[in-house]
Amino acid sequence: MSLLDDPKAAFADLSRPEGWVLGVSVAFVLFLFVAMLTGALGPTYFLFLVGLAGMYALLSFGLNAQWGFTGLINFSVAAFFGIGAYGTALMTASGSPIAGGFSPLVGLAVALVVALALALLIGIPTLRLRADYLAIASLGLAEVVRLIVLNERWLTNGSAGLRGIPGFFDGWPVLSTFPEAMPGLRLEVIPGSPVILETAFWQASLNVLLVLAFAGAAYFVLRRAHRSPWGRVLRTIRSDEDLARALGKNTYSFKMQSFVLGSLIMALAGVFYAHLNLYVGPGDLDPITTFYAWVAVILGGSGSNRGALFGGIVIVTIREGTRFLNDVALPIDPAPLRLLLIGVVIVAVMRYRPQGVLPPQRELIWPSAVGGGGTPETPDSGVRERKGGGDDE
Amino acid sequence: MSEGALPKEDAVLRVDDLQKSFGGLAATDHATFAVERGTITGLIGPNGAGKSTLFNLISGFYEPDGGTVEVNGTDVTGMEPYQVAEHGLIRTFQTPRKLEGMTVREAMLVGPRKQPGESFLTLFTSPGTVAESESANLAEAERILEDFEIDHLATQPATDISGGQMKLVELARAMLAEPEVLLLDEPVAGVNPTLAKKLKDQIRRLNEQGTTFLLIEHDMEFVMDLADPIVVLDQGHVLTEGTPEGVRNDDRVIDAYLGGGT
Repeated sequence: MSLLDDPKAAFADLSRPEGWVLGVSVAFVLFLFVAMLTGALGPTYFLFLVGLAGMYALLSFGLNAQWGFTGLINFSVAAFFGIGAYGTALMTASGSPIAGGFSPLVGLAVALVVALALALLIGIPTLRLRADYLAIASLGLAEVVRLIVLNERWLTNGSAGLRGIPGFFDGWPVLSTFPEAMPGLRLEVIPGSPVILETAFWQASLNVLLVLAFAGAAYFVLRRAHRSPWGRVLRTIRSDEDLARALGKNTYSFKMQSFVLGSLIMALAGVFYAHLNLYVGPGDLDPITTFYAWVAVILGGSGSNRGALFGGIVIVTIREGTRFLNDVALPIDPAPLRLLLIGVVIVAVMRYRPQGVLPPQRELIWPSAVGGGGTPETPDSGVRERKGGGDDE
Repeated sequence: MSEGALPKEDAVLRVDDLQKSFGGLAATDHATFAVERGTITGLIGPNGAGKSTLFNLISGFYEPDGGTVEVNGTDVTGMEPYQVAEHGLIRTFQTPRKLEGMTVREAMLVGPRKQPGESFLTLFTSPGTVAESESANLAEAERILEDFEIDHLATQPATDISGGQMKLVELARAMLAEPEVLLLDEPVAGVNPTLAKKLKDQIRRLNEQGTTFLLIEHDMEFVMDLADPIVVLDQGHVLTEGTPEGVRNDDRVIDAYLGGGT
């Protein structure tokens, strides 16, 4: 049932935590909107935040596909993120020591291919072994990748980083000139505090469009995969790998698929970041990114795609929201409290809601195979065809 | 020694001279026997006789040090468990395996082999096929749950049912994999007598429908009533094989159980 078909039933269907999350999110969006109208929050900066939220959502989607679905412990989220960012930056940036000047689409492709190669490289030796070996190996991998990026100056420019990365849509018809072509708008909803929308704003909205496309595609793929027999095998592996093997599932292959899928989504986040920030440096591979992604997934509820989305947004809110606490007169400087705050949140979640805020709740069977009210009757073929094809609810 | 003495015309599982040691302990010591198609073969033996090790060797979870395992005439020695399963041999475990976050019918759906929806690409290239097979599998799962008289549990969380019900679900799920030979590791351990009887009836019914069983069981009454022939394992090798009657009256079997050696 989609929201559009039957909004009332869809709302009645929400569990209490879902209702809470929905309520708080709506209130939060309204708050941001008001802040924007009053000029407290610049619209361009707001769109930048939306971009960051999308980026963290992508990272947590990727980790969720590995940890949440299959139980793979990957501590090299930052490495795959960095590979994505550097992959596209090295191809497109004017300051690239090796290639440079290619279209961002080439950058995207190269980033994904390198991430795929890296995922296979680390997956092949470790995924046959017990779960802990991947954890250890990936922890090492993250440092290796970071140190290579930092030290191999001929390849990556070392600590100077890469400058001159074009926007993702540079060189595209229409979209590349879209920000300049749009007129500057001056909205004055509240007298005295005009909201000015100019080139930078339109540039930022293109970035948001990009991240929405990336995250939307990732979400669509993961959602369908999660409810499929494929996802069911992954969840079986997470609970009990031996059982899956005894039932004839090639668990090594399934684990590899899940690992590669997650890694590619993380690299996608890196690609977006490079074209958002227009500069990448070795600092972007710091392990903190890995831990932000983990916090987001655990907070949202392991195994839940919307939980990962929610977790990603919360992380950005905490990370960026603490900047504004500076404006409020506090006796101490609150920005360094960011990590403490994240720690407090995770402790609170573990204590009061260990399954996460939005854990996967309903049973996950290919939607059209289960009748609307949970009756096991096989739907007639017409219904099945239609729903099986498009409806991903 | 009358190892695997009975003649086997049509063996669905053939174990020949299988060996496995853990350090200095020969857990499986030149074990040889066969399971005739259509039978319920019992595998008994005192604690530490190597029954579970033998199961793990047959199903591919352990790599044997020597000897061969044949399923349906194909040599499956040294294959991965999933490959052994593909040849028609499915096993269950001594302790029921819990699938967290799944409902009973969802956990059942892990059973069917070669589901089109288990291929990641098919999910996007041909969702109609996936939906079709999922509907068929779900209907089949519901039917089997009904046969097992546990259809009322279908939408219960798989972790919330009793140990005995888990054993039933496990057996039901194994049937969804359409095994030619099903290895049951202590199907009634820790199961109350009512459910044990139910399990026995189910195994018998499935056997009549054509599934071959090999089962480890400590409950002598259960196994003597259900299985024929019975293979007796002691210290890693096959001590004898025969009808329940014959095994019960075999002095060597009694010695093995009572620890006599003379």
